[in-house]
Parts: sequence; structure tokens; C-alpha cells
Amino acid sequence: MSNVMKESRRTTLTDEELLIGLSDGSDSALQQLYRQYFPMVLHFVTSNSGSEDDAKDIYQEALIVVYEKVRAGSLALQCQLKTYLYSVGRRLWLKQLAQRGRYMVSDTEQSVRVDEDMTDHEERDRQFELMAESLDRLGEPCRTLLEDFYIRHLSMQAITDKFGYTNSDNAKTQKYKCLMRLKRLFFAEYKQ
Amino acid sequence: MGTNDEQEIENALRAYGDRIRLRQKLAAVQAAVDMDDMRQQADELRPEPAPMRSWWTTYRTTLAVAASVAVVTTFTSIFVYRSYQNGHQQQQQQYSQLSKEIQAVKSSQRRILNDLDGHGRALNAAVASAQIAGTGFMLTSDGYLVTSNHTVRDADSVYVQSQQGAVYKARVVYNDQPHDLAILQLCDDSAFRQALTTVPYGVDPRPSDLGERVFTLGYPRDEIVYGEGYLSSATGYQGDSTAYQVAIGVNPGNSGGPLLNEKGNLIGIISGKQTTAEGVSFAVKTDYLLKTINSIPTDSLKGQPLRLNKKNTLTTLPRKQQIKRMMACVYQVSVFKHRQ
Repeated sequence: MSNVMKESRRTTLTDEELLIGLSDGSDSALQQLYRQYFPMVLHFVTSNSGSEDDAKDIYQEALIVVYEKVRAGSLALQCQLKTYLYSVGRRLWLKQLAQRGRYMVSDTEQSVRVDEDMTDHEERDRQFELMAESLDRLGEPCRTLLEDFYIRHLSMQAITDKFGYTNSDNAKTQKYKCLMRLKRLFFAEYKQ
Repeated sequence: MGTNDEQEIENALRAYGDRIRLRQKLAAVQAAVDMDDMRQQADELRPEPAPMRSWWTTYRTTLAVAASVAVVTTFTSIFVYRSYQNGHQQQQQQYSQLSKEIQAVKSSQRRILNDLDGHGRALNAAVASAQIAGTGFMLTSDGYLVTSNHTVRDADSVYVQSQQGAVYKARVVYNDQPHDLAILQLCDDSAFRQALTTVPYGVDPRPSDLGERVFTLGYPRDEIVYGEGYLSSATGYQGDSTAYQVAIGVNPGNSGGPLLNEKGNLIGIISGKQTTAEGVSFAVKTDYLLKTINSIPTDSLKGQPLRLNKKNTLTTLPRKQQIKRMMACVYQVSVFKHRQ
């Protein structure tokens, strides 16, 4: 891994390249994102009564926010990526502090307003939690079947073999039935 | 079940999967990050430390001076404020009521209670932590006494103790706050009935003249104490026309004691003294004692009228004999309060 790190240190990606890399899950982009901006968030969180682990969680969450916005095609950066990441991390940490009954002491960087983005993110958070719950309630073999296909991206053939279905059509039918059950579980809660 | 619905759930599922996979990836990248390097970089973002140190070295002396000035100022202000407050308090406390607050004299309290008969001892447990003592004296031979109102104010129970050491429970019949008088009645007690003593003194409601020789008996301590002096002014503290100023040595505990003239006539009831001057004491005039007695509602007397003794048996007696006769009707008043 250290070799890879040294290798990637030589290349410096622009904000745009970093965003594309993030949405593709490129290792070098992710590494650079950590190298370049994590110290800033680490500094902010630890200056405001947080621990190193808190900072790691907050930065990971901030990257997820950016990633999901890029994937949804709704990211329109009006500022540097650095400022945006700081603003998102700041908001996330403020929420944590509020839950712990404490207050922010000091800003360590300039920040921009990210209120709407955070509302979107909270909505996605809710969806995520709900999906985890729905999958739990779905039971086996449906859960593994769906996870294999949609999350682990196994091919239909691999799934047919793994679950011992007679052919891939049969597997597709099973997958469809499972998906419909999941849909009922998920939307029963979500659309309320 | 349209394709639309199917796509919606598929999208939600994919988004869910994407987040999970990104998290895993980020966790892996994070684990590989050189945290020492990150910490160092984060520390470099802290602008304060270096300038702070040089600032500290530059202004250390100034700060020390400023701090000492602050300390001196603070304590001086506190001192000045305190002394002002003390002065102020002294003014307020120039008049001191002569009831005696006893906190530490547990032993005397115990002694009094030991003298009580059986039912009195049962009260022992209920006795409160704060005790106030004063003096009272008999108005009638059938159990009415007078004392200072400030002695028995807010009392939970009142006991009186004779010079011989007999203890009786008393109830407060009437409070006269403006004149600082209170009328007590001994609770029905056969022991007292047997020891009936006549009231030897007479009551003189007329204003007494300045220079009249007076004496008093009271309980500034557990023993009865005699004191004598003279009437020094026709008005009391701050021109209070209901009281006399008396040049007599009295102390806390004397409150409620009788003030008698040479002929053995009651001319006042000891109420307080001026703390800023020696031998300046005050006594409520008997005229107001009579007014107080007249204003007691008949209901409070429970069918036992309060009739003052008219006959003075002390007039012709020498002082020592007067004192002996008087002693029998001067009581120590002990007040028990339950602390809230």
C-alpha cells in the first residue's frame, strides 16, 4: 500500500478530476482527497471538542455527501471543493455537537451555506436506514439474492449457480418476486 | 406493479449498495492514511501557538503588573464595601432587643427539662434546636404573665421557670407588636395553684419623673440578676413616646423584666437598649401595658378575667425585702422554636 501511496503522491488532480474520481471510486482520487483535505477537518473537529475518530467519521460522511450529490448530478460547486468539504463537515459536526449538548467554539476556515444540500442528505440518510431495515425484514434467501445482484454486482449466471436454480430465467423470476416484496416493505414505511 | 415501481425500488437499492461500497472503500483508504502526517498537518493549521508564545514573552511583565493591580483593586473594593456595610449595620443595630438567643447552652436546656414532670419530659424529643430566653413577671396571682413580644414571637412552645426552679408550660394569650408586649398564661397546672403567691407590686400608670430611682430583676443568665438605675428620659429610642429611657445595666435576657420605682410601683417593662451607648436602656411605659391588657379579646382569656393587683405591699419595705418579695414573681421565659 505504501508504494501505491508514494506513486499517487506525484499526481495532483484538479477539483473536477477529484470529483470524477470520487464518483468512480478511484483509489488515487480517494487517497488524494484524504491527503489534501482531511487535516483541515481533523483540525476543525479536534478544535471543537471532538476526537480523532470523530474527525474520521465526519470526513467519511462528508465525502459520502459529495459522492451522492455527484452521482445524482446535483452538485453545482460555487466554491472550491476544499471550502465545500469544510462546510459540509462543519455542518455534520455541529449536528453531532448539538446532540451531545455542546456548542461550537471556533471556525477554522471560511464556510459556505450548505443547508439545502444537507436537507437532501438527511433524506438520503432516512432512505438508507429504511433500506437496511427492509432488507433485514425481508429474510433469506431473498436478502442475499438481492444483495448479490444489486450491491455485490454478481451476474445472473453466478447467482443461478450459487442458489442452485435450474436456469437463469428461474433466478430472474425469483429475484423479481424478492424485489416486489422488498418494495412493499420499503414503501410501506417510506411513503408515510 | 408497473416497471416504474420496479425501477424506483431498484434505484433505492442501488443507492443503498453504492453507499455501502463507498464506505468500505473509504474505510480502507482511511486505514492506509498516515495519521502522524495528518496530525502534523492539522497542527500546522493552528496559527495561534507560535505568535502566542512571543506575545507572552513580550507582555509578561505588563500582565503581571496588571494582574497585581487587579488583585489589589478587588480586595480594596471588598474591604471598603465590607467596612461600609458594617458601619451601616451598626446604625441599624443601635437598638437591640434584649431577648437572648441560646445555641450552645444545651446543658441549661436539659436542666430545665429535667425539672419538668413526666409529661414535660415526653416533650423532650420535640424540643427544637433554637432557644430564646427572656424575662417575664406575674401580672396576677392566678397565672397571667407579661413579657416582651420579641421574646415569644414565632414561638412553638413557651416555658417559664421560677426562681426556685419550677417549670411551667405557658401559652401566649395576646401579642401587642407595636408596644412589644405579650401576655402569657400558665397552662392549667395544679402544682402552680398550690404555690399561689400574691403579686406584691402596685401599678403606676402615671408618667414618672426624670431622675426617679428604679430597679429591675431579670434573667440575663440562668440566675436571677438585680440591677438598679434611674429614669433618664421620658421618651425611648428615637423619641418613642411609649417608652422611657433608663440608665440601667441590662443585657440580653433582661427583656420583659419589670421596672419598679423606689416605692415598688411598676412603671415599665424592659424592652431594649442602645448598643452604641453605655447604660442607655429602654422600657415600655405601664400605661401601654394597661392599654394592651384592655385590648385583649375576652375570648382569649377563656373566662378567666385578668384583674391587676391594686394593693402594693412593697411600699414601706427596705430594698432587700422588696427584692425578695419581687423575686417570687419574676420568671425566666424559655422559648422553643422548631427550625423550618
